[in-house]
Amino acid sequence: MKIKTTVRALRALTLAALGFGPVLASEAATEPSQNANEVNISVDDIGIDNGVYRKSGIGYNGASPGPVLRFKEGQNVVINVTNNLDRDTSIHWHGLILPYQQDGVPTISYDGIKPGETFTYRFPIQQSGTYWYHSHSGFQEPDGAYGAIVIESKSREPYRYDRDYVVQLSDMHTDSGERIMRNLKMMPDYYNRQQQTVGNFLTDISANGMAATITDRMAWGDMRMMAADVEDLQGFTPLINGKSDVQNWTGIFKPGERVRLRFVNSSAMAYYDIRIPGLAMTVIAADGNNVRPVKVDELRIAVAETYDVIVRPKDDTAYTIFAASMGRSAYGRATLAPREGMTAVVPKLEKRPLLTMADMGMDHSDMAGMDNTAMPGMDHSKMGHTSASDSSKTAHKMHKGATTDPFYAGGSGLTPVAANGGKFLSYADLRAQKPLYEHRPATREIEFQLTGNMERYIWSINGKKYEDAEPIRLKYGERVRFKFINKTMMSHPMHLHGMWSILDVGAGKSNPIKHTISVAPGTTVSMETEVDAAGQWAFHCHLAYHAAAGMFRKIIVEGGPRSAQLNSQAGEG
Amino acid sequence: MNMLSIRGVAVIAIATLTLASSPLLADAGHGKKSTPSIGEPGKSTAVTRTIEVELFDNYFTPEHIAVKKGETIRFVIKNSGEFVHEFNIGTAAMHVSHQKEMEMMMEHGALEADKINHDMMKMDMGNGRTMAHNDPNSVLLEPGKSSEVIWKFTTTSGLEFACNVPGHYDSGMVGEFQDS
Repeated sequence: MKIKTTVRALRALTLAALGFGPVLASEAATEPSQNANEVNISVDDIGIDNGVYRKSGIGYNGASPGPVLRFKEGQNVVINVTNNLDRDTSIHWHGLILPYQQDGVPTISYDGIKPGETFTYRFPIQQSGTYWYHSHSGFQEPDGAYGAIVIESKSREPYRYDRDYVVQLSDMHTDSGERIMRNLKMMPDYYNRQQQTVGNFLTDISANGMAATITDRMAWGDMRMMAADVEDLQGFTPLINGKSDVQNWTGIFKPGERVRLRFVNSSAMAYYDIRIPGLAMTVIAADGNNVRPVKVDELRIAVAETYDVIVRPKDDTAYTIFAASMGRSAYGRATLAPREGMTAVVPKLEKRPLLTMADMGMDHSDMAGMDNTAMPGMDHSKMGHTSASDSSKTAHKMHKGATTDPFYAGGSGLTPVAANGGKFLSYADLRAQKPLYEHRPATREIEFQLTGNMERYIWSINGKKYEDAEPIRLKYGERVRFKFINKTMMSHPMHLHGMWSILDVGAGKSNPIKHTISVAPGTTVSMETEVDAAGQWAFHCHLAYHAAAGMFRKIIVEGGPRSAQLNSQAGEG
Repeated sequence: MNMLSIRGVAVIAIATLTLASSPLLADAGHGKKSTPSIGEPGKSTAVTRTIEVELFDNYFTPEHIAVKKGETIRFVIKNSGEFVHEFNIGTAAMHVSHQKEMEMMMEHGALEADKINHDMMKMDMGNGRTMAHNDPNSVLLEPGKSSEVIWKFTTTSGLEFACNVPGHYDSGMVGEFQDS
């Protein structure tokens, strides 16, 4: 068994080294003699070379990103995961609906996979679309342990395209995940390179006057925050399908073809604003679920989200896929071209956004550090309605060029603006193509204040870190409304395992069905979940270092089909 | 495929004339406007073939239709999807501008994803223009409804049948007419 794995890993490594990359590695992983439903994945320490520098990381079948796993809706999959590391590992299937023991979260789903052990996952595929997988142990995911999942639909898809590419983004860092966590705990602004300087101070004085500038700085100082805190981790190298700007991943097309791009953000911390100069994108799916198609020029993809788009390049020319980090500290770049070797102009990064007082979401005079007093904050009445009617005319339709997005605080420094002046996708534009559940009112509401103390790099929910908090108990069969109130100045992509998050965009039965919901600073966002998955599930902010710092909870579902219920021993099945 | 072919400017001029008979200018009428580049409304007595076209979310069946020059075809169109769809005969350029009009219809509430608000369609948008879809080369159907288009073809070059409900064309809800 071990020898086979080594040979396989070597073969995959060779293929990867020859530039064939992860897709062929997946073909190397599944030997022809095996059942097509069975996949073998080895977890190994590997060297990763992104064209800018080399470091050690973790690979699946010898490469990072790991192989694209291709399944069919309705298939029963068997995935054998062999741990060749000297420490525990795990694989979580992000966005997949499956029995809780197969969800891959150590201490919640099972005990993890010990060094040298092979764990076999078995579950039915109950959905289609674009998803991803990653380690849920330590900081292995930021160190390279991630890959994509593409699930073919059993029925005809509501769109047509001629070819199909996974475009997976990440944020590789010179420092290992463990080292980053230690540094952040020691000095929370360790990686925040874009801090305000004396130069900024003087510029602001000449622009806004002395009094206004000093008031502004004292206000931020009082709150012990730095206005530039859009990203608390900089110095990363954006990768697209494992390749940096210089390596330039390229997808080939024939002019006139419709190309489906499956964007997956597998970063530890970085949000990306994606655009393809010269090509509009028609968004057809979000988090694996089809949405009514909406044509945009640019979209923001939060950590752990996926968006599928269709583009139709008509000219015999190359196009640049440009992914600027939300804090504009770095960019990822890839190319769509009719032939290998063709490139297009790469845009320049725009000015970095600065947070404003609006992102604090509350009146400055009420602020007392970052304690979680029960202040409602600014309940942006533009969103969070449970309006039963689905009328697109009352939906907050953004006219072209508008720069308001109801999912950002009014006046927020983070409100997305399309670089070409066109349309930027908002959550408010998303409508489920086909609702998964009957629309009914929630049976109860639970409030989650997203809290934190940037000075000590503590991130929490309702003021409590994971280890100090009780699990959240839900009842099988209820419909729970999760109300997120973001008391911090960072965006948090909240991910509930095992059950869908129906995001409230005011569209009633057509509210989009997601697995990861980003909550911007100073905003309140609600989603509803039909509690139809027995067992226990992880629920956390998907920013890797926030989850590790305490922004995490265990959810226990009480009741449900006997066979699916929690056993006293975890890890069965 | 290139719009700026030998006919050049004439084609563009004719396309503009065709736009004048688009839904926004109902009074310009759905009369017998002869537009050699895309054909003209056909007489039911001259029909040589009947073709059934089914509309789904979001695609046509069939996606390719072969026609002979000069043929008059009756299209029986059925919307078997759960959303409003259109069947519209025209060139790619015509479809692009019609898409803009349909976006406006949605913004004004005349058109919802699964419903047509007929009253609002008749609403005067100024200059005596309405949003009524009563052109001979297209039908806009709610889920479950059926209708007909009778069309006489001259050439098929660059001719497509499309749904211009926002987002549908870009997701692939378009088909080709080909010379048979």
